[in-house]
Amino acid sequence: MEKINLKMIVNGTQVSVAINPFARLLDVLREDLHLTGTKEGCGVGECGACTVIVDGETVNTCLTLAASMEGKCITTIEGIAANDELHPIQQAFIDHAALQCGFCTPGLVLSAKALLDKYPHPSKEEIKVAISGNLCRCTGYQQVVEAIEDVAKR
Amino acid sequence: MFRFTYERPTTIADACAILAASSGKAKVIAGGTDLIIGLRDEDKKVAHVEKVVDITHIPALKYIKNDGEVIRVGALVTHDEIFNSPILKSAAPFFAEASNTVGSPQIRHSGTIGGSICNASPAADPVPPLLALDAEVTLISAKGKRVVKLATIYDRPYKPTIGADELLTEVSFSVPAGAKTAFVKLGRRKALAIARMNVAVLAVVKAGIVEDIRIVPGSVLPKTMRVEAAEAVLLGKKPTEKLIAKASRKIAEVMLEMSGVRWSTPYKEPVIEALTRRALTKALEVE
Repeated sequence: MEKINLKMIVNGTQVSVAINPFARLLDVLREDLHLTGTKEGCGVGECGACTVIVDGETVNTCLTLAASMEGKCITTIEGIAANDELHPIQQAFIDHAALQCGFCTPGLVLSAKALLDKYPHPSKEEIKVAISGNLCRCTGYQQVVEAIEDVAKR
Repeated sequence: MFRFTYERPTTIADACAILAASSGKAKVIAGGTDLIIGLRDEDKKVAHVEKVVDITHIPALKYIKNDGEVIRVGALVTHDEIFNSPILKSAAPFFAEASNTVGSPQIRHSGTIGGSICNASPAADPVPPLLALDAEVTLISAKGKRVVKLATIYDRPYKPTIGADELLTEVSFSVPAGAKTAFVKLGRRKALAIARMNVAVLAVVKAGIVEDIRIVPGSVLPKTMRVEAAEAVLLGKKPTEKLIAKASRKIAEVMLEMSGVRWSTPYKEPVIEALTRRALTKALEVE
């Protein structure tokens, strides 16, 4: 099947990649661009492990047709640290022990980032809504909410 | 994953031309939150799809307008944009609320109102409010344009009567003066839940009398629709707790009549009755 040339901005860099028309954004990020921080959990939009930020909004990359991303601006977990310094949300997750196995963490961090980019000082309720599409089976969410609240207080 | 080719038109006319030339083998994609799952599952409902037509790059499909009489929502407007629209929040709050209960934030950022209507799931959350608004949909094809009542495209679940060459471009409705609305949903949990049951109610009460009443239960009937037998209980009457209970009972009876007795009926029967009672009590503002 004929490949499609897809141009998009990933973590601030313009990329151009030949993709299958039926590839999901998740497939292109992981397999073509080798950005394996984006995880595939359920593959049907229930768990949020594959969350990235597209033009400022979180989406599930397992439900997103890669070809539709032409011209879009995508932020993955690899794109949020500044050089060698972790993003404040990443650091807060470590400080609050907001992860155990870590599989859901990239998605949770990006859901938190999209929220804080829009509303730097959200309420606890707003934080809970923002991460309601990210399942975590280890933490019970308490530490995750505390970590995000900590960043929001700064 | 089914294999398919891909087209990305930037105008409605181009999209319609592609659909017309595809002899029923093309499928429109917007957010993809339903279609990608079907294609990946190799669901027989989409086994005929050889081409997907991506409409997300057609700017003419993304708008929310209020010309004073009619509110028009373009097919590409996402559930999140509906929830955050000041126009819709004030004119049709139950539509905005229902849109905010779809899936998760991620799904509401991608999923569109056009996609939700065309997917024709009996459990779609935005559809009962639209049916209560007597909404119309605009369908455009290379042959022309038709505007039909939303209620007329639902005959069987997941199979709306929309031609394979037609593109749904808009949903529009007018809100009766003085209308109060309510949307009540029961999911398995708060977030990321497909509705087990939901109810949308629109009511106009003038001088203490119910002048207009529309009740649409979702997920309990073979096709989502207004239930006139229940509406008749309240229409033209003074809204009381007793009549609300009677109308709610009627919804449960119609469910039994149309959907038959299933394993889940002993649970659903009292619950749909209670949900309807809550929605009616809110919309009719009965203490």
